[in-house]
Amino acid sequence: MKSVNQEAIEHDPQQLHEDLHTIWGNPKGLRSLTIVNHTTLGLRFMVTGMVFFLIGGILAMLVRTQLAMPDQNFMSPDIYNQVTTMHGTVMMFLFAIPMLEGLAIYLIPKMIGARDLVCPRLTSLGYFCYLFGGIILTSSLIIEMAPSSGWFMYTPLSSKEFAPDLGSDFWLLGITFVEISAVSAGVELVVSILRTRTQGMALHKMPLFAWYILAMALMIVVGFPPLILGSVLLELERAVGMPFFQIAGGGDPLLWQHLFWLFGHPEVYIIFLPAAGIVSTLIPVFAGRPIVGYGWVVAAIAIMGFISFGLWVHHMFTVGIPQLAQAFFSAASMLVAVPTAIQVFVWLATLWLGKPKMKLPMLWVMGFLIIFVCGGLTGVMLALVPFNWQVHDTHFVVAHMHYVLVGGMFFPLIAGLYYWLPLFSGRMPSENLGRWGFWLTFLGFNGTFLIMHWTGLLGMPRRVYTYEAGSGWEIYNLLSSVSSFVLSAGIAMVLLDIALHFRFGKPAKHNPWNADTLEWANTMPPSAYNFVSLPTVETRHPLWDDPNLPHTMAKGMHGLAVASHGRREMWGTDPITGKVREIIHLPGNSWWPLFAAAALAVVCISLLTRVYALAGIFVVIAGVFLLRWSWENGAHPNAAPDAGVKPGDPPLHSRTMDGPGLWAMAVFLIANGSFFLSYLFGWFYLWTVSPEWQMPDIPPLSLLIMSIAGGAVLAGCVVIEKLVRGLRQQRDAGLRASFYLAAALGALQVGLAGWALWRADLSPTQTTHDAVMLVGLVYALFHGGLAVILTVLQGMRVGYGYVGAHAPFEPAVVALLWRYNVVTFWLLVGALAILPRMIGG
Amino acid sequence: MVMVLTRLHFTHPIHLIIGLTLWSLWFVAVYSGLSVACAVAPPPPEAGALTGLNAALGGVSFITALGLVALSWGSCQVAKQHEGRQRFHATVSAWLYLFSAFGVVFAGMPIISVPPCL
Repeated sequence: MKSVNQEAIEHDPQQLHEDLHTIWGNPKGLRSLTIVNHTTLGLRFMVTGMVFFLIGGILAMLVRTQLAMPDQNFMSPDIYNQVTTMHGTVMMFLFAIPMLEGLAIYLIPKMIGARDLVCPRLTSLGYFCYLFGGIILTSSLIIEMAPSSGWFMYTPLSSKEFAPDLGSDFWLLGITFVEISAVSAGVELVVSILRTRTQGMALHKMPLFAWYILAMALMIVVGFPPLILGSVLLELERAVGMPFFQIAGGGDPLLWQHLFWLFGHPEVYIIFLPAAGIVSTLIPVFAGRPIVGYGWVVAAIAIMGFISFGLWVHHMFTVGIPQLAQAFFSAASMLVAVPTAIQVFVWLATLWLGKPKMKLPMLWVMGFLIIFVCGGLTGVMLALVPFNWQVHDTHFVVAHMHYVLVGGMFFPLIAGLYYWLPLFSGRMPSENLGRWGFWLTFLGFNGTFLIMHWTGLLGMPRRVYTYEAGSGWEIYNLLSSVSSFVLSAGIAMVLLDIALHFRFGKPAKHNPWNADTLEWANTMPPSAYNFVSLPTVETRHPLWDDPNLPHTMAKGMHGLAVASHGRREMWGTDPITGKVREIIHLPGNSWWPLFAAAALAVVCISLLTRVYALAGIFVVIAGVFLLRWSWENGAHPNAAPDAGVKPGDPPLHSRTMDGPGLWAMAVFLIANGSFFLSYLFGWFYLWTVSPEWQMPDIPPLSLLIMSIAGGAVLAGCVVIEKLVRGLRQQRDAGLRASFYLAAALGALQVGLAGWALWRADLSPTQTTHDAVMLVGLVYALFHGGLAVILTVLQGMRVGYGYVGAHAPFEPAVVALLWRYNVVTFWLLVGALAILPRMIGG
Repeated sequence: MVMVLTRLHFTHPIHLIIGLTLWSLWFVAVYSGLSVACAVAPPPPEAGALTGLNAALGGVSFITALGLVALSWGSCQVAKQHEGRQRFHATVSAWLYLFSAFGVVFAGMPIISVPPCL
């Protein structure tokens, strides 16, 4: 393969290191809040995740203390409900996903030979949204106003009628805020894996961990928006009385369950996949041989990614769905055992054919295999409808869930943390403390949750705050509670080991486990830019096949070993072949992500306290911050005003038509599309199923006005497409005028759609029909308005010389939004204005 | 046939997700089709599984499974003609098409025996 900039020139490594450090290095003090580097932010995600894990763990101990004996009054029922709800919520939303995302953010660029993630400012925004959202949510515990309707917030229990205080609002607003973080990370992980792998790393040579993270990130992108929609609708119902989930107005509480589990079941796999990725990374290293059946694992990952979306109704087997529909979901739930089994057999075969070394990380992998297989088996049991009916809402389900989640996520996570600890710190953990930690955790976990299966089979319901003496559940609950303290002691020992190793751990030798993947080519701990030079990698095991690679990389003997231009740079490669296509230049440290997240936090708090005017003002402020952030791109003086590259190197991405921003916009629109499809699902679901749904005799939305608005957005899109085509051919005459023309057409669409909405005279607090229609139209207005603003900004950027034939990239990104707007607007016209006229109520 | 196989570009990694996407569309179609039919015009319970609705769902499932098997066979044929990256993509795609077909048959099996709207 012809390589770019690959001549074996020996640079002065020290000088190169210093130059790269000047460009990439992290500031100190207050300015450390501006850091956008993936290594630092990945660690921040993980440390914050561990803090939330400790909070969630303490809540779990409170629950077990309350249940240790019958008829206890250690906690009141209301506080108990708050504690159980927050335990589940914190563990799922504030620990499991952010922790694994943090690990992925930290590792992925290092594993694929890149210097950072592709949207560093987005990483920073994601972190601050996570931090602020988490603080807002957990603060509800301090004021004893935490959510108390269960971590799944079923309506009507979470609705205003049965939960009148602010608990549900904390959950809905806090979780939505945190989900901005998850989706942000999902978008940039997808694009980074597809577009920034080092030269030569074709798709089929990618480390398996990257495959797992790619699947996880895509699942986040598709799976989280249904819950974001559900949360928005429920908050609207609680705040202003739009009756989406109330039968009387034409809504249906079951819609919430559908939207929640459309997210909630894939989420289990979103958590499991990266953990399985850790296992698939560690087992070959400690077995000392390549994994058996790389292709099988890739196939299993793809199958899990899809099938896991087809299982959501198995959480709803008792709500009265037709038997045949239950049978579909029962079968699909059993089907997902196939890819899981493929992976388990691949891991066993790799161990069987290798020479496994039972180091500390492997102990946790073994614990994972035992516990997760047990959890998987009870999962197959729960997929059977009659059995599911019997144990529904009992401690059996709680036990199963913990076997899958703790076994499937926590054990591999600790295995991974121990494995990568030398990379984080340059020091080794203590084998002794670590082994004590493992055995206490393993025994404590099984003592807690294996017994809980029996308590459940004996009929003990979940989420009851106490039980009577003589029920036959006493001894099991006592054993569970005692074991849970053993489990806590084990986890405390692991955390102690990790904390102590930073000071007392033995210095690690380079690549201490003899691993095969590129992250071990870093210094330990890694520098801010990861690699002095970016190598060509055409094997799945770069460090096994070329043990000298870290040395030659550090000496600057590979690609992009130049820093004199002052830019943060890395390769942009073909997503399939790994051939270099362009040089991606990244933005430096920035205050904008922090400012935008802070403004959004004020919005969140204002909505909680019902100060809507303030919320409105800060929405605008957040929007201004985000737009100001987007201004510093492309040929802007703070980005890359000089397009110069070394002879033989490819152009800068902002001087091409195919940079990572285009991919990020496409992936973001997939997330947006998932939100929109969930909305359409809600509309048709309520129309079909809700017993009190009322379709007006005369459809309120003017078909004529909506059609003209649709024509305007289509015309605007044609203008944008035409100018993009021109830029592709290096023609930029009349570019600015074209942008303003498109913006005017967009403004016409927004004006007409707004007029149609005003004329419709909806009563969104009276009928669900009007409420759903209003949400759809506001969605269209928001997107139309956004397209207008971005298009006007493009016109202005042409004037400043940031966009033109010399820098044609950004209009192509905006064109994607226009296309999306055309499609969604016409789908809305079809769903809200045409179909009701054709079918009626 | 060779021309059809060539035009379908089975060595492209997009085929890693097409089979499962078709499975997903089939799944959504049969579940939503069943739900709408049961809400709008449920067949009489005494008809058991011998209803037009079951026949329609079964027909859609049969055609989908057949199409997926054909795509699996096509991928398999193309895989044999290539090496390296292209062979990898075509082979894994073939297995994924086959699994998707199996998924349609397995999840769709109850259509034969379960009454639709009970």
